[in-house]
Amino acid sequence: MTPAVQIPIEKWTGKVREITLGATAADGGTRAKTVTVGGENTLPFLSFEGSIPHSPAVALEIQDHYPNDWSPLLKEYWGDLLRDPAAWARKAEEVGADIIVLKLISAHPEGDNTDAAHAAATVKAVLGATGLPLVVLGPGQADKDNEVLVAVAEAAKGERLALGNCEDKNYRTVVAAALAHGHLVVAKTPIDVNLAKQLNILITDMRLDLDRVLMDPTTGALGYGLEYSYSVMERLRIAALTGDSMTQQPLICTVGEEAWRAKESKVNTGVPAAWGDWKKRGIHWEVLTASTQLLAGANIVVLRHPDSVARIKQTIASLMAE
Amino acid sequence: MSRYIATRAIRGANTVVAEAEALLKAAIADLGPDTPVAFTNTAYFLPVNLAFMGRQIAKLSDMVPALEDAKRLLHPVPPENMWVPYLGETMDSGMATLLAEEIIEGIRFARGQEPQPITWDGTYIPTANFVTSDPMAKAGKRMNGPIDDIQLRAWGIQLVDGRMPGFAALIGCAKSTEVAVQIVRELQQRSILVFLSGSVNGRSIIHQLMEAGVEMGYDTYIIPFGTDTMATIYPLGFAARSALTFGGLKPGMPREILQYNRARVFAFAIALGEVDDLKYATAAGAINYGFPVVADTVIPQILPTGITPYEHVISMPFDDIEGKDDIERARKLVQRAIEVRGVKIKVTEVPIPVPYGSAFEGERVRKSDMRVEFGGKSSRCFEYLRMAPFDSIEDGKITVVGPDFDQIPPEGFMDMGIVVEVAGRKMQEDFEPVLERQIHYFVNGASGIQHIGQRDITWIRISKAAADKGFKLEHFGKILYARFHADFGAIVDKVQVTIYTDKAKMEEWLAKARQAYTHRNERLAGMTDDSVEEFFSCTLCQSFAPNHVCVISPERLGLCGAYNWLDCKASNQINPTGPNQPIKKGTCIDANFGVFEGVNSFVQQASHQAVQDVSMYSIMNNPMTACGCFECIAMVIPEANGVMVVSREDPSMTPAGMTFSTLAGVAGGGLQTAGVMGHGKYYLTSRKYLSSDGGFKRVVWMSSFLKESMKEEFKAVAEREGDPNLIEKIADERVATSVEQLLPFLEEKAHPALTMPPLF
Ligand code: SF4
Repeated sequence: MTPAVQIPIEKWTGKVREITLGATAADGGTRAKTVTVGGENTLPFLSFEGSIPHSPAVALEIQDHYPNDWSPLLKEYWGDLLRDPAAWARKAEEVGADIIVLKLISAHPEGDNTDAAHAAATVKAVLGATGLPLVVLGPGQADKDNEVLVAVAEAAKGERLALGNCEDKNYRTVVAAALAHGHLVVAKTPIDVNLAKQLNILITDMRLDLDRVLMDPTTGALGYGLEYSYSVMERLRIAALTGDSMTQQPLICTVGEEAWRAKESKVNTGVPAAWGDWKKRGIHWEVLTASTQLLAGANIVVLRHPDSVARIKQTIASLMAE
Repeated sequence: MSRYIATRAIRGANTVVAEAEALLKAAIADLGPDTPVAFTNTAYFLPVNLAFMGRQIAKLSDMVPALEDAKRLLHPVPPENMWVPYLGETMDSGMATLLAEEIIEGIRFARGQEPQPITWDGTYIPTANFVTSDPMAKAGKRMNGPIDDIQLRAWGIQLVDGRMPGFAALIGCAKSTEVAVQIVRELQQRSILVFLSGSVNGRSIIHQLMEAGVEMGYDTYIIPFGTDTMATIYPLGFAARSALTFGGLKPGMPREILQYNRARVFAFAIALGEVDDLKYATAAGAINYGFPVVADTVIPQILPTGITPYEHVISMPFDDIEGKDDIERARKLVQRAIEVRGVKIKVTEVPIPVPYGSAFEGERVRKSDMRVEFGGKSSRCFEYLRMAPFDSIEDGKITVVGPDFDQIPPEGFMDMGIVVEVAGRKMQEDFEPVLERQIHYFVNGASGIQHIGQRDITWIRISKAAADKGFKLEHFGKILYARFHADFGAIVDKVQVTIYTDKAKMEEWLAKARQAYTHRNERLAGMTDDSVEEFFSCTLCQSFAPNHVCVISPERLGLCGAYNWLDCKASNQINPTGPNQPIKKGTCIDANFGVFEGVNSFVQQASHQAVQDVSMYSIMNNPMTACGCFECIAMVIPEANGVMVVSREDPSMTPAGMTFSTLAGVAGGGLQTAGVMGHGKYYLTSRKYLSSDGGFKRVVWMSSFLKESMKEEFKAVAEREGDPNLIEKIADERVATSVEQLLPFLEEKAHPALTMPPLF
């Protein structure tokens, strides 16, 4: 006899916007495949309650400069690929990423300060090396972001890249570049529901359609503010489902960047023996951070280690199973 | 609408459309209908025809239907005796003119007559070549022609994202070469693009600039398009292409494209010299975009605002402009044009000889490190910001009236007054104190400068290190000019700073300032909740208290003390989508408790339904929620039939049996708890303080910190409450840290709360 348990069903009025990254030749791009996220009208993985048309996607992060500050574990895995973004991207595709996130750190004024042409060339090379959709992030300094992202947008016209980060300070330029060349933007705000909404409003004011905006709510890693970012994401998602149009963007979370910055994953010197195997610990850190954020509503998680990709994909598959 | 302008614009449009038709006929006959037509280096065909009519003109025959579009927009010239508001007709004619002018330029391209050759003794080397072999360009013997797509992207994105303030189309010929140069320099200085076209009696501003040896080209932001009025179509085509490229707009969306330009592209035209029919017609076309026209001759003005955000046509006869010479007159002409269009000047750097940034805000300058001080014990110092009529001040003007401090001995002192005058279309007198308070933060941002106090108790020190680096009095002006533009550009268009050290002048202005302070105090005191229609919300703290909303009224400031009603009002002007939104009070549901329909519905929505009803003036009945930033916590002490108020500064035990920090957990978090409330210090002095629960007389216990730091204010409150000794009757942590100690104290002092109606 089956127990007569009534599962309570919540009836939401809103849904997350469906957004497609990348364009194939048919749509004016050169991608071999595109990735669509969003579209759900229920909380994460509650498929009994509503419909979840697309699985969350898993991205791998690559950079256009040898990432000196990365954990030795990551350096060990990727090896010399770290010096060649195109080859790195190709490998990332091989190990199962759905999306490539390319960070143009070499353009940072305190780093190599490479120019717009360099950025455009790097993006072209990466586009040539992989058929996956691309998210391109600037070095994180507003003026330099503007400079390189505008050039990238132009060089990759029609590819439906996601350009980021589009922040309070530089959203106008990034949005205008996206508008001019048919791309999306990643709107990033510092862990705050209202700021996230406000930026979406400002972006809309510039006439970029909301089906071209991803939100990065700024997230922390396990042990480093994960709970806080969880609750902000959850609130954003509940607001989206209750019909608040300016919060209905799919969420992208920079998991790898945060998780591999934690002491627990980054280093193995001077740590208690009880912490156990370093490599396992590092992967756990990234996987736990990612899976928590998926439960909070992440639509794209950006990882750094391929082992985590495999495990997170497995997690998603089992959570998505009927 | 001026009938005169309408007549001339309509007539001009009819003429130019007829001319286009004749030229087209001849060109088709000479060259054949399939002859290609293209503006070079652009994918936007003939952009005005493309944007507004959705027509892709690629060959001469494509122009035939395009010309029909223009013809349909024509109107008959109004007869002498007819008086109707010709606005619609004039705007249509303007559009017809632009379409026809572009067609004419297209035909000239097909005939190889464009870009216009330079036939006189002058050169211009365009940055971009149109074709691989462009001998005329290389020889410097042709005008620029349309801006190519590459440059369009470079400039267009900056116009849209605000890095570049706008563009100016200069049409005609300036009074003299000297004036022409000055006008262009004024624009260049402000990073405004300068587009040149047109002439008067065969002489063009382009000739003038070439004679003066002004370097033109993309790099210098000065582009010569042609010496006839027709060439003005290029800048207007540029604006249309910007909207198509960066505005997400599609060809054939005229309304949206025009609106987009009006809202985002800060452009204007200056008509130099006599204005003929074709110029009127072209100007009418520009007005369609929301670009106003300023003429330096006598023409009828079109002042009512409508299509352009401000005035449409302004006449400033050059010789009548007030100014000591033509140079100054040219400056004022440009200044006026900028104001009319509302072009915002961007100031990104603070040009002073010491480092500047918020990191220096907390810096102290000790007496021994000090070069000179203003205010404090030995001298007087004040700061005063006032709103001034638009035309009475000059943006960026910084004057020091009196000696600088170089004659003062080290570690000495002197009197000083800083007077800031601001003007702006959105400026209101009410914002004066809000802006004035910023002076403190702005001045403190300079390394080696310390600023304390405000109004006439300002106290500023300049360190020896800063003085050694060359910091002078004028730099206060530079700081204030830059920061007011940067931070308050939304409400401030002009900033002028005067620094007075001259004794007589300083005293004269000090008196004026004091008068203004008094006036403001009275205004503030007279500003009641009943006297306004709107309160404001603050949701800044939702980042950590997700459902908390501060409702801020004239008589109740935000609970952190940082935002009063005026601050919110100004903040809303600066950042209309930000955390301070106006709340229409709506119907008053209960005047005693302070319950308003509008407030309730706003709070319901902004608290995500967590809070349904809010009483503005009660601690017992649906009190306002608190985030955690409160300066004070008020809590009911049932035994005393009153409330206690503990301030953040007070670490001691309270009669409630909890310290401030323990209480904070009860009061915060965005929950409504009857009997507990967080609030700002100055709310204590408001007439509306717990007014439905009996008002300030309910306060039976209050941290001594509050009593001491707000002595004067409380004295006034006690007077107002009709009990001058009231404050002495209120206990504090020095006499009572428990209810047991509190009650006898109150009995002894005969505190009024004991005999007030029961709270419960
Ligand atoms: S406490 Fe201050 S900052 Fe926070 S919401 Fe209230 S008024 Fe705004």
